[in-house]
Formats: sequence, C-alpha cells, structure tokens
Amino acid sequence: MTAAAVGAGLPRILGPIRPRTRWRETRLLAIVAASLVVGSVSLALTSQVADPGESHGLSLANPLHVAIYLGLLGIAHLVLILSGRRMDEILLPTAGMLGGISLLLMERLPQTQVVQSIGPWKLGLGDVQLAWLVLSFGLATTLAVTVRSDGWLRLYKYTWAAAGVALLLATFFFGDDINGQRLSLTIGPISGQPAELLKVILVVFLAGYLSENRPLLVEESTKVGPISLPPLPFLAPMAAMWAIALGIVVMQRDLGAALLFFTVFLSLLYIATGRVGYVVVGVLLFLAGSYVMYLLVPTVQTRVDIWADPFRDPTGDGYQIVQSLFAFGRGGLLGTGLGAGLPTVDGRLPIPAVHTDFPLAALGEELGLIGVMAILGLFLVVVERGLRIAASAADEFRSLLAAGLALVIGTQAFIIAAGNLKLIPLTGITLPFISYGGSSLLVNGIIVGFLLALSDRGVEPPPPPRPRSRFARLTGRVARLETPAAGRAPIAPGPSRRSPPAADDR
Amino acid sequence: MTATPTPTPPPAPRPTRLTPLGRTIGHVGLALTVAFAGLALGAGYWQVVRSPELTTDPGNPLVISAARNVVRGVIVDRDGKVLASNKRDPDTGQPYRVYSSDAFSGVIGYASRQFGTAGIERSFNAQLTGVSNGNPIGDALRKFELDPYDPQKLTLGISSRLQLAAVDGLGSDRGAVVMLDPRTGEILALATTPTFDNGAVANPNTAEKAFGALRVDKTQPLLNRATQGLYVPGSVFKIVTAVAGLGSGRITPATTFPQQPKAEKDGLVVSGFRIHEHPGVPSRSFDLMSATEWSSNIWYALAGMRTGGEELASFAGRMGFGNQIDTDLPTAASQVSGGGPGPGGFADEVELANASYGQAKTLVTPLQMALVASTVANGGILMRPHVVIATAGRGGIQAVAPSQIGRVISPEDAAAIAAAMQRAVESSIGRQFTTGAKVSGVPTAGKSGTAELGGSGAPHSWFIGFAPVQNPRVAIAVIVERGGRGGQRAAPLAGDLMTLFFRINK
Repeated sequence: MTAAAVGAGLPRILGPIRPRTRWRETRLLAIVAASLVVGSVSLALTSQVADPGESHGLSLANPLHVAIYLGLLGIAHLVLILSGRRMDEILLPTAGMLGGISLLLMERLPQTQVVQSIGPWKLGLGDVQLAWLVLSFGLATTLAVTVRSDGWLRLYKYTWAAAGVALLLATFFFGDDINGQRLSLTIGPISGQPAELLKVILVVFLAGYLSENRPLLVEESTKVGPISLPPLPFLAPMAAMWAIALGIVVMQRDLGAALLFFTVFLSLLYIATGRVGYVVVGVLLFLAGSYVMYLLVPTVQTRVDIWADPFRDPTGDGYQIVQSLFAFGRGGLLGTGLGAGLPTVDGRLPIPAVHTDFPLAALGEELGLIGVMAILGLFLVVVERGLRIAASAADEFRSLLAAGLALVIGTQAFIIAAGNLKLIPLTGITLPFISYGGSSLLVNGIIVGFLLALSDRGVEPPPPPRPRSRFARLTGRVARLETPAAGRAPIAPGPSRRSPPAADDR
Repeated sequence: MTATPTPTPPPAPRPTRLTPLGRTIGHVGLALTVAFAGLALGAGYWQVVRSPELTTDPGNPLVISAARNVVRGVIVDRDGKVLASNKRDPDTGQPYRVYSSDAFSGVIGYASRQFGTAGIERSFNAQLTGVSNGNPIGDALRKFELDPYDPQKLTLGISSRLQLAAVDGLGSDRGAVVMLDPRTGEILALATTPTFDNGAVANPNTAEKAFGALRVDKTQPLLNRATQGLYVPGSVFKIVTAVAGLGSGRITPATTFPQQPKAEKDGLVVSGFRIHEHPGVPSRSFDLMSATEWSSNIWYALAGMRTGGEELASFAGRMGFGNQIDTDLPTAASQVSGGGPGPGGFADEVELANASYGQAKTLVTPLQMALVASTVANGGILMRPHVVIATAGRGGIQAVAPSQIGRVISPEDAAAIAAAMQRAVESSIGRQFTTGAKVSGVPTAGKSGTAELGGSGAPHSWFIGFAPVQNPRVAIAVIVERGGRGGQRAAPLAGDLMTLFFRINK
C-alpha cells in the first residue's frame, strides 16, 4: 500500500499512521471538482457575453480561486486518508459542494459588496469568502483528525454553557452597534458573531444534560390532579438555560437565532424523551410567546406585517422580500444561468443583502428551480449523514450531540430558505456554508469537524454511565464509598484515557 | 484487560419506557424532510406558478432595466400601419418612443423612462421589451440565446381610420367611442377625448414638462374615459333591463302593464316617489317593441320591478357589471346599484325602478355599454373584448384567439331585443330619438340615452347600437359629455362611424 509507505515516512509525533483509503469520498470529490469547473467556465462565458469586446474562448471565471478551493478540498481529503480513521465519506464532499457554490456566487456578485484591506492588498467579496472557506475547512479537518475524546465536552457542560452566556452578555454590553442590533463583538483584531458559536455550545450543553437525565425526564413523577407532568425539578435547569439564551437573543432582536435555538431545543428534547407532549407544550408556549412579542416588540410586528403582504409596500418595508420573490420568479424552472441574473438598475443590485441573507434567491434566479432543489437536497444529505451518525453513535451523549449539530445545519437552512420564499417571516440568519460571513462559516466548519470525528466508532469508547441524579447518587453512595473508582473504571484502558475525579463541576 | 471483579456495579438504570434514540432521531429526520419538501413546493410555487406574473411586474428590475435599454417592439394597427415606433436620443443613445398620432393616446398610452408606462404600453410591457413572450417554454429556454431580449411586435385590432374619425367626431367635446366586432370581441376603435401628446411624455427631453401639465389638467386627459370613465347611462341602460327581464323569464316581448295608461298622465307612484315620463309619449299600454321605440321610462320601470333587483344585477353581472372587465386595458367596474341592503344591492323599490331606465345610482363605462350592445348583437353570447390581436417575435407570430366569456341570454331573446332596437333606430317614432344613427342601406339597431345629471347643465348624450341587425359585424357605444339628448350628438356620430365601417369593410 503506497499510502502506508507515505505514512511510515512521517515523523512519529503524529503517532503510528495507518492510512485508510476513502474511495467513495475520492469519487464524490471528483464530481464536486468537475461541477465547480463547469460552473466557473459558465460564469466566465456569461461575463464575456455581457462584455462582447473580449474573446469568446473557454476559460475559468477566476482560475486561482477555483484552484485554491479544489486544492483545499484535496488536502482535506488526503489528511483524512492519512489519519486512518473510519469516518463518514459523504459529509466532506457535500459540504465541499455547498462551499463551492458559495464561492462561485460570491465571485459572481459585485466584488465591492465587501472590501477588506490587509496591508497593501485590497480583498473583494470573493477573496474574503475564499479565505473564510479555507479556514473553515481547515478547522473541520483539524477537528476531524484530532478530536478523539469527548470528555472535555461532556464533563464541562455547565462551564461551556456559562461561557456561552457570558459571551452573549459581553456582546450585549460591549458589542458593535449596527442598526440597533448588537450582534458582533470585536476583540483586538478579531470580530465575530458570538450567537453563531452559541449554537454549538447550546447543543453540547443540551446533549450532556439530556443524556444524563434522560430516564428521569421520561418518568411522570409530578401529578397535578389528573394531568401527569414531567419531573419539574429536572426540567428546570435546562429550561432556565434555554430561557436565558433565548431572552438575550430576543433582547438583541436576533429573531432568526432565537427561532433556531428553540427548534433545536425542542427537537433534542423529543429525541431524548420520545414524548410528543413536550413538543406540543413547547410549540404552544412558542406560539403564545410569539403573540406577546408581536404585540409588544415593534420589530416583530413589522416583520410579520411585511410577511403577510410584502406587495403592499413593495418599494419600502417589503422591498427585500419582494425583490427576493422577483428573483425566484425570474429564475423559473431552469434559471437564467450563472452570472446572467440579478438585473441592475443604475448599477444597483436588486437585493442589497444578497450575499448574507438572500443567497438562495440569487441562486434560485441563476440556477432555477432545479438548482434550488439540488441545494436543498445537499442540505438534506448533510442532515441525513448527521442523523445517521447520531443513530449509530456509541452512547447517548454522542447521539444527541451529533443529532443536535446536524439539526443546527438543517434547521438554519430551513429558516432562512423559508424566509426567502415568504413561507415564514424573514429573519436575518445565514444560509449554512453558502452565505458570506466568517463566524458562520467557521461554526459550520466546527460542526462538520465534530460530525466527522463522531462518525469514527473505532477509537475511543464513551465513558461508562455516571450516577445520573441527586437521587441516584444518594442511593449509590454506599457503593461509591466501597469502591471509589467503580463508576469510572475504563472499559478499554488506553494511554490517552483520562480519569478526572475532580472534573465534576456540577 | 485487568478484570478486577467489582462487587457492586454502578447503579443500573431502572427499566423505563425509553424509546430507542434511533427511532426518535428517525422521526425528527422525517419531520425535517417534510419541511424541506415544503420548501421545494414553495420554490416551485414562485418559480413556476407565479413566475410569469412576477417576471412581468412593472416593479421588477428586469422590466425596469429592459425598459431603459431595449428598443421596444413596434405597435401597428389591424392594417399594418405603424402607430408606435422608436427613435434614439442623439446625446445618450438611449431609445425612446414616438407615436403616429395623439388619437391613439388613450388606448396605446405611453412608455416613458421617467414616468413609467400606461395603456397597452403598460399591459404589454413585458412583451414589448422582450422580457417575456408569453410562452412558458420559450421563456424557459431563453437562457440559451445569446441575446435574451426578444421584443415583440404588437398588432392591434384598432382600425386607424375608424379611430381617427371617432376622435375627430368627438371634436372638442369630452367623451368616448368604443367600436368592436361582436363576433370576436376585437376592439376596432377605442377613442377618448381630450387626447394628449403621448409622444411628448415618451420623449425624455420633454417628459417632465408635458407630464406635469397633464397631471394638473382639469379635463383629465390621462383618464381613459372609454374604459375607466364612469357615467350615468340614462336610457341606454334599458337594454340591460330588457336582457335581464327576458333572460330571467319574468317578462316576455309581449308583456304589457295595465296600470301604464293612467301612469303616463300623472306619473307612476312607487313607494311615494313619482316617476314621470318624458313629454310626448302617448298614454297607452306598451310592449317591449313600442316601449323601446318610445323609450318609455314607465314601462321599463315596471319591467325592472317585475324582474327584481336580484335578477337585474345577476344578468348585468354576466355582461361584466360589478367587476373589472377582463381585457387588455385597466377598466373601472360598472355598477347597477348603490350597494344597498336589498336584493341586487338596491336600497329600495324606488332605486330599482329608477335604475331600470338608467337614472339611479347606476354607473357604467362606455366599454361596458359596448359589451351590452355586443351581447345582443351576437345572439346572446358575450365575447372577451381585446385590443391586441397578434404578437410577433423571433419565434413567429402568435394570434390571439377570440374567446367567449359566456352566454347571457338565448338567441330568441336576443333577437327580440335586436328587433326592438331596430325599431328604435328605423321607425318614424324611434328616429326622433336616434336621429342620424341609421346606416343607409344597412339594417341598423340601437338605443339612445339622455343621462340627466341634475342641476342646470346639459345631459350626457349616449348611443349604443350595432349593424347589420342580422349577423352584425360592428357594435358601438358613444358618449358625449354634456352633449345634450342622445339624438343630438351621440346617435349621429355613431351613424357616421358605422357608415364609415361599412365603407371600409365592403
């Protein structure tokens, strides 16, 4: 095996390397590469037709960008091969295709939408997005290869949650004020949107809490008259956690993130307990809360009114959504072709926020209904792989973690796509992998990395179940006194196995 | 494995009704798949079902952009005479519209870079700019063309000679003329006065001044009186009453009213309100024929009351009343009644009785009255009125096929009304009211109207009619605002125009 020979030559720091071929991933990546090259050629042709002065030969729209991006995917593929882990082979090409579509779209839009100056260089929209894509896939690959234990996630779930809330509070008090919203935080040279990272943190916390208290949540211990209620004391900390996160998000007017958190929360609760009642109560609470918000918060009222009838004020409040629907309509079944849509009037783009909030509208116009279906299909593949990883994970924490991460991608894609299509009121969140934005792309990278790592069932077995509640701990106290390490005995002892007795930070 | 036997294993979870995670994860996956299917349906709705409408919306940037840069398709009359063509601005190189004559300003409207579009230029903007050719498959394949714009040439059913004669005949009076072919619904002339210089509005250099003046002009030249002017109909509405009475079977051509001779002397008392006949009508019993010939208000009031408000409104509705007429131009909805609580929207019997001879809260457009004449002329079948009879582009000529709105009354009833209308034009008595309406050598049918407006001013002069009585080829409605009795202005003008029609179309 040649790959093994290559691996043998690498320094020992990385440990014994036994490369493992990933032919399915190789084949899929080849398809991705071919599609992106075709897309780039098509984009180049369109711009030539628009500017007939130039020659009409075949070329790539921006050969360097495509080369860098495909090279990046190739390196990620090679690293995964060399790592020798038995990981999912479909996630990387699927995410790679979505990222590639993003790159083509950002190259096609006016480069002046975003300009970043780094030293003497001026980077346009396409350059910046490519940089973020490189970092994002780099992060995904690094996490996929290096994360071999989940103890640091599951044991410190409250710490993570506290850190997440602290980050949000910091944003609320010290964040950059843009249009009355404080969504981004600048620390030194780095600026980002903490709400993006909070998605992952919330999933980690929920997975930890739910996996630990799952049996108790299913038992009906509190009875009020004829109605059986869930054991309230065990639901309280989680609900409080959720309410704090949600409350902050609502205060910041980040409605899309609030909707996302809520949906993922309810989905995980259902996955853990299998009780439809929780979902019903949750949805009713959500509807009641939404109605109160509609009455009290003017922003929400405007959003809902615009959604109800955007054509009432097509040049004012309803402008963006009407323009989005126009774009979908212009696309029709087959689309106008990459680069041939988005007609400008006086040089202005029809949808100002096309690169952040409305990429699907632009893609719907240029790739048509067929393209929209394909992109929705790619998202469904990501979700399907994530849920498959979740269903076959070694224990409940990993199951819930994988399911939660996959649902973050799927739900977020749904919320913004449905907003673009006027199926629900528009909320400003990003379309995963496709929208312009560093924070969003990095978090998507983290999610792909975690999912890849979780898909490897070959390495680390999960820690054995720990006492799952105060009550259980009380009953288990005698046993614990007799054998202090009984609850933590490693099933498969290995050199990397940590045994942190003081790690319980509850 | 160093298997130290543990005396007491960690407390085993109690057996609970835990659903396997795999199953609940499957449920959530299914739910998300359904949600994505909803997205696909939503995209299909906007991109396929609503696409034609969205793509041709005047607010769509594609339409706006095309309107500025594309050389619009020419508009010709039914004989191929050019009515609207293009010139290029010598300074900017941008194209603008020029029109052959002001006489067509009402029907063709204008296409101005500054002030948008009106008339046929507005309703066929998408075809004239080539944004859509009205053929879904052709539009979908447009992306494969090098030049995506395919401006269509429009052929109108308008006959220039009739149109010019109509505008000429109206002269300095305000008014409108609608002529159409009752067999096909093709509009042959659609005149409205005063006309305006639509070329000045289309020319970017004069638009500002011309349009500003038109907007404040008290005579409202921008109002297309033929389709959007709402007038009191007077006696021409009696034909609607006849259609409803015969159509509903409540009256027959032989119906007489025993109370009429007495009522002719001192008026017909309806709920305390006294309806008077116009002077000179003999005090005897009438039937449909003689009542139409004499234009008896009292017979028609009695006929209307016997028919009932509900049937009157219903049959009027079948001819277009109550809704905007489905045609190529925006229309105002004609109304039978004031929208009161009684059947058919009549407040009481008094309103119904007065409406039956056209003097209550009834308001009609000239186009609507032309359709009433056309229905009777075409044996009771109403055809959809249309201005554009063919579009021609790269893909060849597409003729607009005549389409039927529906049958209103039986051929026998239509023939009875036609015979009465012929008497109203051709008998020695009828001729007193419809002076000059007769086309020499062609059996002519018609009904004049004198719309009393209250106050001291002259009444509106109305005429509707058609010819020949057997197998009619032309139907007409004429109104001259403040033109006096029907026989004074409208009837002679209608006679002249129909005479011209038969001279042109031997």
